[in-house]
Amino acid sequence: MNRLISFSFWFSLVLVLAFITLPLLVVVAASLSPTADVTFRPSAWTLRWYQDLISQRWLAPFALSVKIAIAVSLISGIIGTLAAYIVAFERIPGGSAVMAALLSPLSVPQIVKGVAIVLFLSVLGLQPLLGTPSLIAAHCVLALPFVIRMAATAIANFDGNLDRAGQVLGASRWQRAQYILLPAIKPGVLSGMTFAFIISFNNIPLSVFLVRPGDTTLPITVINYLEYSLDPVLAAVNVASMIFILFVILAFEKFGGFSAQLHGGSK
Amino acid sequence: MTILALDLPGPRRSPRQGLVPAFGLSPAGLMLVFFFALPMGMMIGTSFHDPSSGALSFQAYERFLNDGLTLKGFWRTAIMSCLVAVAATALAYPLAYFLARSKSRFRIIVFALALAPELAGVVLRTYGWLIILEDRGFINDIFLHWGLIDEPLRLSKNLFAVVVGLTHVVLPFAILSLTTSIQGIDENLERAAQMLGANRLSVIRMILVPLSVPGIVSALLLSFTMAASAYATPALLGGAGFKVLATMISEQVLFYVDWSFAAVMANALLVLMLVVSYAGLNFETRLRDRRGVKRGG
Repeated sequence: MNRLISFSFWFSLVLVLAFITLPLLVVVAASLSPTADVTFRPSAWTLRWYQDLISQRWLAPFALSVKIAIAVSLISGIIGTLAAYIVAFERIPGGSAVMAALLSPLSVPQIVKGVAIVLFLSVLGLQPLLGTPSLIAAHCVLALPFVIRMAATAIANFDGNLDRAGQVLGASRWQRAQYILLPAIKPGVLSGMTFAFIISFNNIPLSVFLVRPGDTTLPITVINYLEYSLDPVLAAVNVASMIFILFVILAFEKFGGFSAQLHGGSK
Repeated sequence: MTILALDLPGPRRSPRQGLVPAFGLSPAGLMLVFFFALPMGMMIGTSFHDPSSGALSFQAYERFLNDGLTLKGFWRTAIMSCLVAVAATALAYPLAYFLARSKSRFRIIVFALALAPELAGVVLRTYGWLIILEDRGFINDIFLHWGLIDEPLRLSKNLFAVVVGLTHVVLPFAILSLTTSIQGIDENLERAAQMLGANRLSVIRMILVPLSVPGIVSALLLSFTMAASAYATPALLGGAGFKVLATMISEQVLFYVDWSFAAVMANALLVLMLVVSYAGLNFETRLRDRRGVKRGG
C-alpha cells in the first residue's frame, strides 16, 4: 500500500513537471524546425526563423515594447517607492486604508481595467492619448501595486534604529532617506521594478485596447498574427523575447536585486 | 534598543510635516485616480445609462439577461474557471508537497522548473499549446503516425483546450500558495501518525489534507479568479468556438463599439469574481472558527 502511494506520488510529480515544461520545449523545437508545419519528427534544425527576426516587422514592435517597459519600470519604481515610503515609513494616520486603496487595482481583472480606461479616454475626447502615453499610464497602474507592496515589505524589514541614529547625528530627513533608507531597501525596489518591466513587456489585456493600429507592442503583434497562422517565426519571436526577459532579470540582478534580497535583504 | 526609541521625541506634527505625505502620495494617487478609479466609476455609470439619450436605464442589463449567447458566455466562464481551479490545485498539490518537505538537491531544480513558465509569458505558453493541440498539431501527428486514429481529433478551439492552457497559466501560483500552506503544517504530526501505525494513505487523508484545507481553498480561489479574468489564452485556444466573458468584452469594444453592453459584461465578470471570492473567504473563516471551537472544547 505504502509502496503504491509512494510510486503514484513520484509518478504524478514527473507527469506534472512534464506538463509544465512540454509547451516551452515544443516552442523551442518549433523555432528550430525547418518546415512551416510543426511536427514531432523534425528532420533537420535551422536558425532561419531567427534571421527573419531582423526586420522592421519585428524590431519596431520590440522597440516600442522595450520603450514602454523602461518608462513603466522607472515611473512606477519612483512614484511607487515614494508612496510606500509615506505609508510604511512615515506611518500616516489611516495608513492601512491608504495601502488598501493603493493595492485595489489588483482585485479588478485587467480586461475590465482596459475597457474602463479606453471608455474614459473616449468619453473625455482624449483619443490622442491612445498609443504610447496611455499604454505607459495603464501599465503603471498595473505595476504600481506590485512595486508598492515590495517596497513596503522592504521598508517594514528596515531597522528603524539606523534612521534614529541618523537623526541623532543631525541628518536631515532627505539625507536619511538618501543615505540610509534607500540603500537598505534597494533590493526590494529593484525587484518591484523588474516585475514592473516584465508586467509591461508581456501585457496583452490592457494593450489590446490601447495600441494604435500599425504601431503595436510585441505581444499584440504576435497574437494578431497567431490568429491567422502558426508560422514558426512566431516561435522564434517568443523564444527570443523570453531570452530577452532573462537578460533583463540578470541586469536588474547586477544592480543588486533578487539575490541580495534572498540573502538577508537589508542586512 | 527600545530605550533609544523612547528617549527620542515621537513624530512631530508640525504643519510643514503634513505636506510631506501629501506630496509623496500624490503622484501615485493621481495616477490611480485618473487611470483606475475615475475610469472604473465611469464604466459602472455607463452600464446604467441609455447610450443614445444618456438617461438612466437598465436596458443593457435586460439585454444581458435576455440574450442567450451572452448568458451562455457567463456560465461558460464560470464552469471553465471551476474546472481550471480544480485541475490546477490537484496538479499543484504533489509538487507543492515535494517543494515543502523535500531536502534533496533536486528541490531547487524542481522549483525553477515549476516557476519557469511564469517568465515565458502567456503568449509563448499558449502558442506551445496551440502547436500541441491543433488539428495538424503534435498530438494528432503522433496519433496519426502510430495509426491510433484515422482523422485528427478536435483538440483546440473548445473547452478542453482552454482549460488545459489556463491550468498551465495558473499552475505556478497554485504551487506557490500550496507550498507555503504545507510548509506551515508541523511535519511531526505526519511522523507521529506514521509511528502509530498509520499507512501513507491515512496520513494523507487524516492529517495532510484536513490541515491544508485553508491552503487548498486559497489555491482554488486564486486559480478561479485568474482563470475568469484571463484574456489571451481563451482568445487564442478557444477562438470563435469558445467565447468567454473576457473575449466577449473585447469583441464588444473593438468590433461593435457598444460601450454600455461591454460595461455590463465587465460588471458581470466583476460580480462573478467577487461572489466567488466572498464565498471562498467565508468558507475559510467558518472552517477556522469550527476548528478553533473544537480545540477549545
